[in-house]
Order: sequence, then C-alpha cells, then structure tokens
Amino acid sequence: MSQALLKASGIGVRFGGLKALDGIDYAVGERELSCIIGPNGAGKSTFLNVLTGTLRPSQGSVLFAGTSITGLGLNRIARLGVARKFQIPSVFPSLSVEENLDVARWGTASAARSTKELLELVQLDRVAGKLAGELAHGQKQWLEIGMAIAIGPKLLLLDEPTAGMTPQETLATAELLLRLKGEFSIVAVEHDIRFVRALDCETLVLHQGRKLRSGPFREIEADETVRNVYLGRR
Amino acid sequence: MTERDRNWLTLFATGLILLIVYPFFADGYQLTVIRDALIFGLFAASLDFFWGRTGILCFGHAAFFGLGGYVMALITLNGSVPLAGLVGLLGAIAAAALLAAVIGYFLFFGGIRGSYFTIVTLATGVICQQAAISWSSVTGGDSGLIGIPPLEIDFAGIRIDLGQDLASYVFISIIVAIVVLLLWQLSRGRWGKVLTAIQDNEVRAAALGHNASLRLLLTFVVSAAIAGLAGALYVCMAGLIAPDLSGLLLSTEVTVWVAVGGRGTLLGPVVGALVIQRAQQEISSFNPSLWPLILGLLFIVIVFALPDGVLSIFSRLKAIFRKTEPAR
Repeated sequence: MSQALLKASGIGVRFGGLKALDGIDYAVGERELSCIIGPNGAGKSTFLNVLTGTLRPSQGSVLFAGTSITGLGLNRIARLGVARKFQIPSVFPSLSVEENLDVARWGTASAARSTKELLELVQLDRVAGKLAGELAHGQKQWLEIGMAIAIGPKLLLLDEPTAGMTPQETLATAELLLRLKGEFSIVAVEHDIRFVRALDCETLVLHQGRKLRSGPFREIEADETVRNVYLGRR
Repeated sequence: MTERDRNWLTLFATGLILLIVYPFFADGYQLTVIRDALIFGLFAASLDFFWGRTGILCFGHAAFFGLGGYVMALITLNGSVPLAGLVGLLGAIAAAALLAAVIGYFLFFGGIRGSYFTIVTLATGVICQQAAISWSSVTGGDSGLIGIPPLEIDFAGIRIDLGQDLASYVFISIIVAIVVLLLWQLSRGRWGKVLTAIQDNEVRAAALGHNASLRLLLTFVVSAAIAGLAGALYVCMAGLIAPDLSGLLLSTEVTVWVAVGGRGTLLGPVVGALVIQRAQQEISSFNPSLWPLILGLLFIVIVFALPDGVLSIFSRLKAIFRKTEPAR
C-alpha cells in the first residue's frame, strides 16, 4: 500500500450503552479506491461519519494527511480536501444543475475541473439548465457525485452512491468511479454487491460494529464467514 | 441573461422613467412625499436583501434604521464636526453595520437560524427603542431630536445642497436606484447563488467548503448598513428623529412592505413601500384608527393568498394564459 492518506486506529463509538463501533483499524492510501460493506446496522454510516470528522469517536483517532480533522467545521474539512456524498441525495433544488456545480466549485480554492467538464463527466450536460429539484433520482445522485468531485478533493467519501438506482445506472456509477481512480482516493460505503463487484477493490467488511474481514473483494467474496453473515443472505 | 433578469430590468427602467417624469407634473410637496416614501423603499429593499436571499426574517430591522438616524442626528447637531453631512452618512452606515456584526456574530456562529433568529432580532428592536426613550440626555427621550439640518455635502469640489425639494427628490431617487441595482447584481451573481444554496441546504453547502455562517453574517451586515443609510437619509429630510423610528411598529411595517411587494425581488419591496404608505395616508385621513387593522388584514391575506407578493399576480396570469393557449 502506498502512503496512507487517511488512517483510523482503534475506532470505537458508543451511543449510550450501545457499542456502535469497536476497535476498528482502517487505512486508505493515496489515490486508492476502496469499499466498505456490511449488512444493515453494521455501523457503516457511523464509521463514515467518524472518517469525515463529523462524529467524534469515543475511542481511537482519525488522521487525514497526518493531522486530526475530528471536530473541525464542515467547511474546513472540505477545504482540506475531503469531499462527501451524502446518503440522501442533497443537491440544491432551487438552483439549476449548472449552478449547483458552480456553487460546489466556488466552495474551495482547489477546483480542478471546469463546470463544463463536470457536466460531461456526470453526463448531465443536456439538462444543465434544469432545476436540480426537477431531476430524476439517479440524475440527482450523479449531480451530487459531480458536486463532490467539483471541489477538487484528495479524498472522496461516498455514502451509498447507488441507492435507488437502476442496475444500469449502478454499473455506470461504478465505471465513473473506476475512471476517477488514480486521481484521488475514493471510499464507497455500499449495500449493493453488484456495484462492489464491479469496482473490484480493497474491501472492508463490517459486522455488528466490528471489522469482520478486509482484503481484495475477490477474496472477500470467497470467504466462508462473509458469505454466511452477508452475501449468502441476499 | 434569463427571462427573469429581463423582466426585472424592464420593471427597473419603467420605475426610473416614472421617477424622472414625475417632477414635471408634481408640486414641491408631492415630491417630498414620494422622496420620503422612497427612503422607506430603500429600507424595505435592505430587509429584502437579507430576508429574500437567506429565508431568515429579521424582525428588528428598524433598530438599524433608527440607529443610523440617531447617529446622523447627533453628528450633524453637534456643530463642530467638519463635513458633518458626509461624516454623518458614513457614521450611520458604520454604526448599523457594527451593531449587526455583533448581534449576527453570536447568532450565526452559535447556530441560531429560522424563527429563533426572528425572535432574537425582534427583542433587539424592542431594546433599541427602549434605549432611545430612556437615554434622554443623548437621544432626547420620547420627543427625540429636532432641527436636524438638510443634507449638505461639500467635498472635493462637489457641492450638494439638499434644502430644495427637487434637489433632494433627485438625490434620493439616484441613491435608491444605485443601491437597488447593486443589491440586485449581488443577488443574481455568485453571492446570491451561494446564499440560495445555503437556504436550500446549509449542511451541504458547508460540506462543499462554504463558510455558511460567515456568508450569512456578511449579508446581514450589508443589509443592516443599508438600513442605517436609509435612516440617516430620512432624518436629514424630515429634520427630526424619534424613538418610533427604531421600534416594533416600523419593523412590522417594513416586513409587510416586503411581503406585499414580493420577497426576493428587491424592486417589489420598494413598490410595496410606496403603495402601502400612499394607502396609509389616504385611509388615515378619514379614520386614523382603521389603518393598523387594515395593515394586519392585508398581511394575512398576502401570506395566505399571494405568498410571493402582489407582483406575482402578473407571472400567475402569464402562466394561466400560457395554459389556455392552444398547444403548438
């Protein structure tokens, strides 16, 4: 693995008496693509919140490029180069698609792509003038991915990017991420196994707040324990 | 340029032409009536710049208007300040901006939004009015300050004496037109789009790197500064200031002007201020106690029936005509 861009060690999170996460070590190298999977309630979203610095872990620490980002303001975290796509598509409904991307580009000083390039990248150039609130669900998801890319991140975190997408859209999303791989680090939290299979990358499996397995997806898929808790029960 | 922008500019140009033509038909008194109404129109536009763009209502905007007025009055009445007119205007703007910066800093960075913001600003307005009444050694108490001289600016070879009705009418018209045009430019450009984004989803905007609290604070400060300017202009036209001008009633009225004229349009609130003040004069002339009732009723009707303001009737009619047109 190349030098770690994001390093989480001994992460534990408690909500009252409930242990949501327990003793998780995790690292993402620069320009690497990786996935986090696990059944419902495994703690995926909680873990992502810890990684993005929006949730302070009860134990352990998260370092992004060698410094702690936990507890920093959302805008500071974004300016350091951490982009996030939320689980519920959150675009700006009163602005047009183009304006959404403009606003995203203006947020940081590190925007690498022009709005036109972004529109083409996420295949929304034909609806550039349409209000984002009027887009179809899949298009909203793509717009939000485009907005996250727009800030010119070092690390892109995606929370269930393909939720609610058709199988074709899901595969197209995987292709998009594979195209972006190598440009910046990407972590995708997913539920949809077809998507993860298409990405075929380093994968962390969470189960009941603990790390169950980690490794290349092919090995994960072949693993007996993982099949039992997760893959077998689709 | 979008269709919306073209409509706005057309309306703006129409308004300008009416303002230019009016002096040929009106006498001095009528000019001063429109002039004073325009100052309140500027005040309404200042509130709209904040409320219309952020969706957060400031219910104590008269505090900034009144503060600007008092600062202007104190500086010009002092007698020893050089360039008192100019210093008074700048001082009024700065004082209102500073008050907004202090209040806004704690509210925005403390995460206060929505109706809580409205309530705190309402209380601020009440406090300011109370301060104006109680601190009588400076503010003149209940009766306020009188004898404020007309605006006279003599600076760098430019001499403006606004003792004349026509001169002051022209001066105010120009100021209002320029400020409204600037606010419009700010609203439709990058600044306004980011504000719309923050209004839509503040967390998302922050996650893209925008400092939402700072952006809201600066917008609030600009809005208050213009309210302070309007207050300062008003006192040197009227020649007096009283605690009412920072109070709850004026804050309510300006909210109604904006709501009636159309929130987020900047021009609508100016029109709203002109029309409603005219109506107020007509109605008060035969029964003074009727006006607050009508004002309240009007507000309720607007909020329920025409939430986008009276001017939205035109776009609604347009939409109806389009629907009834045969499909091409």
